[in-house]
Amino acid sequence: MSGDANGHDVVVSVQHLTVRAPQRTILDDVSLDFAASSLTAVVGPSGCGKTTFVRSLNRMVELTPGLEVDGAVVYLGQDIYDPRVNPVMVRRRIGMVFQRPTVFPTSIFENAAFGLRLIGEEISEIEREVEEALLRAGLWEEVKDDLDRPALSLSGGQQQRLCIARALATQPRVLLLDEPTSALDPAATQRVEATMQRLKEDYVLVLVTHNVAQAARVSDRIAVLHAGHLIEVGPTAEVLERPRNPLTAEFITGRFS
Amino acid sequence: MPDPSAPVASADREPLPRPSPSGRSPRARRRRPYGSVVGRLVPYLPAAVPAALLVAIVLELVRSSQLTNFGWGFWGSRWDPPDAWGIATFVAGSFLTALPALFFAMAIGLGIAIASTSYLPAWITRWLDPFVDLLAGIPSIVYGIWGYLLVAPYFGTVINPFLYRHLSFLPGFGGLPPLSDGLGLPVGIFILTLMALPITTLLIRDALRSVPRDLWEAGLGLGATRWETVRRVAIPYGSRGILSAAFLGFGRAFGETVAMAMVLNVVASYPANAFGSTGTMAAEMFLSLDSAYNNSQWLAALSEMALVLLAISLAVNLIGRRLIAQIVTYDVPGL
Amino acid sequence: MASAFVFRRAETAEELLFDRSLRTRWRLGLDRALGWLLPLLFLVAIVPILDLVYYIASHALPTLTWTVLTSTNPYDPDALGVPILSTAAIMALAIAVAVGLGLFGGVATAEFLPERSAGWVRTTANMLVGTPSVVLGYFGYFLLVITFGWGLSFLAGAVTLAFFMTPYIFRVVDLAYSSIPRPIREAAYGSGARPYQYVLRVAAPIAFPQILNGVFLALAIGVGETAPIVLTTTQSVIFPPTVFSPVTFLTGTIWENFSQPAGSPALALAFQAALLLMIVVVGLNILVRVISARYQKRLEGLYQ
Repeated sequence: MSGDANGHDVVVSVQHLTVRAPQRTILDDVSLDFAASSLTAVVGPSGCGKTTFVRSLNRMVELTPGLEVDGAVVYLGQDIYDPRVNPVMVRRRIGMVFQRPTVFPTSIFENAAFGLRLIGEEISEIEREVEEALLRAGLWEEVKDDLDRPALSLSGGQQQRLCIARALATQPRVLLLDEPTSALDPAATQRVEATMQRLKEDYVLVLVTHNVAQAARVSDRIAVLHAGHLIEVGPTAEVLERPRNPLTAEFITGRFS
Repeated sequence: MPDPSAPVASADREPLPRPSPSGRSPRARRRRPYGSVVGRLVPYLPAAVPAALLVAIVLELVRSSQLTNFGWGFWGSRWDPPDAWGIATFVAGSFLTALPALFFAMAIGLGIAIASTSYLPAWITRWLDPFVDLLAGIPSIVYGIWGYLLVAPYFGTVINPFLYRHLSFLPGFGGLPPLSDGLGLPVGIFILTLMALPITTLLIRDALRSVPRDLWEAGLGLGATRWETVRRVAIPYGSRGILSAAFLGFGRAFGETVAMAMVLNVVASYPANAFGSTGTMAAEMFLSLDSAYNNSQWLAALSEMALVLLAISLAVNLIGRRLIAQIVTYDVPGL
Repeated sequence: MASAFVFRRAETAEELLFDRSLRTRWRLGLDRALGWLLPLLFLVAIVPILDLVYYIASHALPTLTWTVLTSTNPYDPDALGVPILSTAAIMALAIAVAVGLGLFGGVATAEFLPERSAGWVRTTANMLVGTPSVVLGYFGYFLLVITFGWGLSFLAGAVTLAFFMTPYIFRVVDLAYSSIPRPIREAAYGSGARPYQYVLRVAAPIAFPQILNGVFLALAIGVGETAPIVLTTTQSVIFPPTVFSPVTFLTGTIWENFSQPAGSPALALAFQAALLLMIVVVGLNILVRVISARYQKRLEGLYQ
């Protein structure tokens, strides 16, 4: 199942990942590699563990009390669950965007600069990197003249792109997107999708979505989770056209028809 | 931006058409004869009880203070019944005790609230948080007897001499050496800190808890430590609630009566230094009503002090409550 | 759009995940240190409580006998029988008056007043809660003791205390009625209930536990108050024969005796009164918490 990285450099390698809650197993022995410059869509019916999966890639899963993680998530050859590794460092390198826009109640600039302020960058450096991050997130043209405006005055789609910019500003190589458009209207969704497609040139993107159509539009590769098991993974077109697992077929057609 | 401190519970409390207590529609009511207006008001009248009580308090104090013929000439520093009626020393004393206590109660309350909301697991805070609530339940006279008999001597023999030895180079800490009975500002501030602590802690905790989980996770997800998330996300988000904690905590400390009457060694003078004695308005009012009872001028001066105390307390209270939509915690005295 | 993106920072996992810069070490170290230090601040609350309880108990218990608690003999000054009975009587009258003043007001505010005026009424109730108790004592003294001519008496003390407790009752009743789930209101009025029928038959059973809670809370706060009662009554060695007689309150007993010489029976009496007071107050507080936790569950049940 693993090694499916099309010959590119593997950046993140998930090895036999199992996540248990007190009563049930949320993820069962999932192995999957993520290569540089790729966008993998993780799809599956609700409750299949896809959010837990993506949250275990930067140890956000540890914020939920009672979950127990087994297996390894290897980032550039280093298991991030190694006790010597501090989750704070992991999260700085592996960024995350959430379902609903989570801008902080400060200015647009301060939102984008959040991660940079933490590591104590010079202000000139921060300004440069904020601009670059906003450019990459496709938000710069819309906000460049009023960076001091409250971030909460932006529209939902703009807020979500600001969240992407904020995550990019600290220069991660991996960006996790947990249903980033589920709270957005179609127009805003389209802009966020366009941003994702541009970003996949430079980053490892992992997109969790319940929307197969979205996965079809933006991803190169689809991984299907079902009841905590990884039941299928492959190039997007292939999985959608010729699913090998009947459960995948059921899920895809159920969504399409 | 939605009011950050608005509790979830108030979400379904938007205006609802109220039934009239008589059960008739407003149209039907309009046709009623004029004479029964009073009758229809009866069900609403009990709602005026708090306002009536408040107005009655103010009026009664204004009356007994004889403001009209005694005038506003109470703003002096010399209080020497029955010759001089300046209350400035007591006003200063109230602030000199309440402000430092507020400072400590805010700092400690912030620390406890942060520990409880972001560092400690729920099963531990379940056992620790009730101690803070318990602090609020202890009657002030019990604080007073403990403070007077145990804490004050300890301050007098250990803490105050220590501070005096090491801090006397600071302005306000030098001069007269502290007395060994320990009665005075430091122990007063200590007791007031304990009394204001539950209010500041609970309100700050509520403010931090009002921060959506999404925002906590967003901060942590950007590689912030827990502390950085608290400082850069949660505290700015809950700033109004935290500010209201300061106002309401101050109100609690400012009006405290009996404990201060017991541990301050109330005198009508400014404190000589940080270890000195002074009087607060509340404590002086409590202690000298007895002696003033057949001296109308003395009673008038005390009533004026009551008015000043009331005005400041209400102002602080009003501001503190305006800052937040609704206080979630109701079962704490003075909140 | 620059697509040829160059990573300016270190590339290996060793450098990326084990950043050993001073800044990073400081950040992580500060967080870890605060994780240990901030919880220690709980000691600021815990140590004084334990110390206070131990101190009061250790001075009260050695000479505490059944006789001390029950003797109402006026020639036995070192007994608590009279203060206990008097306190119970004062609290009974005070809570009756406070409920009378607060209950109807709370219901009217929650049920009948337009939201805007209700907001104002709540503000006044909150301001009353924020009024220092010594000011209420003065109010009671000038209005009841002097103007009404009741003298320093049982009645003046109880009514002053009632004024002090009223806003707490008021707010709790208001809150109890306001927090009844909306569907229940709508169902009641929708099926043609008159307002008084809704208030008494539908809402009262739901709101009752919380109102009871408010009563216990008001009792706990009232019984520990000193200023309102000491300013409006005067000490007595006997249970007040009439409502205009002087009366002794438990907090008053402490106030009268706390500066007695160490080891004297009078000081022991102050400690015993303080211990008793704490037991009552803490007991009521625990009761309030238990009821309120149950009530929350019940309310949640109503939403199902």
